[in-house]
Amino acid sequence: MIEIQNVSKWFGNFRVLENVSETIENGQVVVICGPSGAGKSMLCKCLNGLEPFQEGDIVVDGISLNDPSTNLIKLRQKMGMVFQRFELYPHMKILENITIAPIKVKKMSQADADKKAYKLLERVGIPEQAKKYPGNLSGGQQQRVAIARALAMEPEIMLFDEPTSALDPEMIKEVLDVMIDLAKSGMTMVVVTHEMGFAREVADEIIFMEKGKIIERGTDVSFFKNPKSERTKEFLDKILLV
Amino acid sequence: MGTFDWRVIYDNFPFLMQGLLTTVELAVIGITGGLLLGVLVGMARLSSRKIIYYPATLFVNFFRSLPLLLVIFWFYFLVPLLAGRPMGDFFSASVAFIIFEASYFAEIIRAGIQSISKEQMQAGYSTGFTYGQTMRYIIVPQALRNMVPSLLTQAVVVFQDTSLAYVIGVKEFLRSASIVDAREMRSLELYAFIGVIYFVFCFTMSKMSKRLEAKKGFAK
Amino acid sequence: MLSYDFKWSILWTDPYGSWMLEGIWITIKLGLICWFIALILGTLIGTLRVTPWKPFRLFATGYTEIFRDVPLLVQLFFWYFAAPRILPHTWEMYLYKGIPNSEFWIVVVGLSLYTSSRVAEHIRAGMQSISDDQYNAALSTGFTQFQTYRYVIIPYAIRLVIPPLTTECLTVFKNTSLAMTVAVLETTFMSQQVEAYTFHGIEATTGACVVYMVITLVVVMIMGLVEKRLAVPGLITRR
Repeated sequence: MIEIQNVSKWFGNFRVLENVSETIENGQVVVICGPSGAGKSMLCKCLNGLEPFQEGDIVVDGISLNDPSTNLIKLRQKMGMVFQRFELYPHMKILENITIAPIKVKKMSQADADKKAYKLLERVGIPEQAKKYPGNLSGGQQQRVAIARALAMEPEIMLFDEPTSALDPEMIKEVLDVMIDLAKSGMTMVVVTHEMGFAREVADEIIFMEKGKIIERGTDVSFFKNPKSERTKEFLDKILLV
Repeated sequence: MGTFDWRVIYDNFPFLMQGLLTTVELAVIGITGGLLLGVLVGMARLSSRKIIYYPATLFVNFFRSLPLLLVIFWFYFLVPLLAGRPMGDFFSASVAFIIFEASYFAEIIRAGIQSISKEQMQAGYSTGFTYGQTMRYIIVPQALRNMVPSLLTQAVVVFQDTSLAYVIGVKEFLRSASIVDAREMRSLELYAFIGVIYFVFCFTMSKMSKRLEAKKGFAK
Repeated sequence: MLSYDFKWSILWTDPYGSWMLEGIWITIKLGLICWFIALILGTLIGTLRVTPWKPFRLFATGYTEIFRDVPLLVQLFFWYFAAPRILPHTWEMYLYKGIPNSEFWIVVVGLSLYTSSRVAEHIRAGMQSISDDQYNAALSTGFTQFQTYRYVIIPYAIRLVIPPLTTECLTVFKNTSLAMTVAVLETTFMSQQVEAYTFHGIEATTGACVVYMVITLVVVMIMGLVEKRLAVPGLITRR
């Protein structure tokens, strides 16, 4: 469970996050949407300590990120992250991309790690790419590898920072399918995205952010059918083309 | 204007080649020493600890604002003073080269590491890597591949810079040629000859570096 | 440690002080003249490198390779010692007797040519990083190739290359020190002259160091102002 408690973050005069509070229960899928610059990515990166914040606290499974004695590195083993630009390691083959962390961090044996990696590649649908380099794969394939890489550390929580924004339209579906499958298997997920179809299908809660603040939150039904704030209505009008 | 007389090169060939050998020795010392010191200083320039960052930055900016010729003179006077006894011109020149070229190698290394996107570091962190592991498995291997062309170019520069040791009397290739010239007065043949030799060396090295740069495109 | 008594006053006592000042003046003159010639020549050659005509490109490529792959000092020696030998005897005599400070101008030739090849490389890189479509867009409005280069490509490229050109300008000033080997009385030469007379090599050389550091600071400041003046919003000039 993740508790975000009155988190604020700023760069000089620019307030990136303003008093953000939210609770994410185990097994929940939370979708964060909103216009660019709303602070969604920043919030996502704060959750696993990649970005610091000046005020408030984030408590993950009872561990506070502010506590100086917290071992952020161990915490990050419990949380997986998928980035907008995939960020696969270009100098390693696909299989290595997935196995390197389990081997070096969890001290898994090469054989075990390979076996696990192949299973994950099958789960995301591309076991045959194992020996290729990221540069040889399409964007959709790379992102699926990125998901497999994150899953290799057996996280309890998965964070997605605009996972399909850098993809060609034909490839978005293959990635979303993997994410939907993951959601249905009970993974706790925080997903920053504009893909409302995905949200409608698996999100337990949808949060709309703008200028660093949470403007509105709701379940998929209430959010789409009866948005409470004007701003949310405007945003939904713009992105839901029909 | 006289006729060309290439015998001057043939007659003095061993002497000239000895000069070339000295040039190569000096270059190898400058490149290896400069690279080693440069790695240390380059990494120091990336440190967030002020006590490591500021001296390294001072070092780099100081030597990059000075002509190598002056630095050679400076060490020519300084080295015997620090050592307490005369150390010879080759030694002073070597010290000057190592320290001077290190400031250039340091910048190449710093830039190479910084060119890897912050997101790659975040990707490493997000799987539970420490700073050290991220640098070791993810950042440095990529940075090295990016840096190699610039490092090779700088190595060629070091090779050319050895000619400056001329001014403190080191008998490298250029000085050997000028010694022969003083005796035989065949400047055109001599300087054309060493020009061609330098050209062949440097041109080959830079072509190799370009080919490496083309080969390294394994991603994208 | 060898005993040594420092005597910094040599830097400003006459006649050593005035020697240093003369040397500084020569350094500045040499640097500025070579820099401007190199800029003009280098822009020309760099542009030739990216034109669609093969003979121009080959010429420009050959030009750059030759000057880059031979040490500058060797080039200066070539111009000073070797090249005059090719000239007919009367020309050679005129060079040495007729032109005052002929060694200064010989260095100008050598250093300008060398630096121009480096400037050409930077210009070429800048122009190649401008997309083909910019070029096509200009042509599609009816510009000739010459006009395209003159009004669109070159002004854009100049802004892109200001940072590397700043480095190159600093390099020119540093390279003027090599002129001392052919008896040009610039800063480094003068500092060693002072050393020869006073035996205080460290002070003299350090004085010269300060001169070059000041020149560096001034150049960086001026180029910074130039960059600000020419800056175009949204165009990233600094990498």
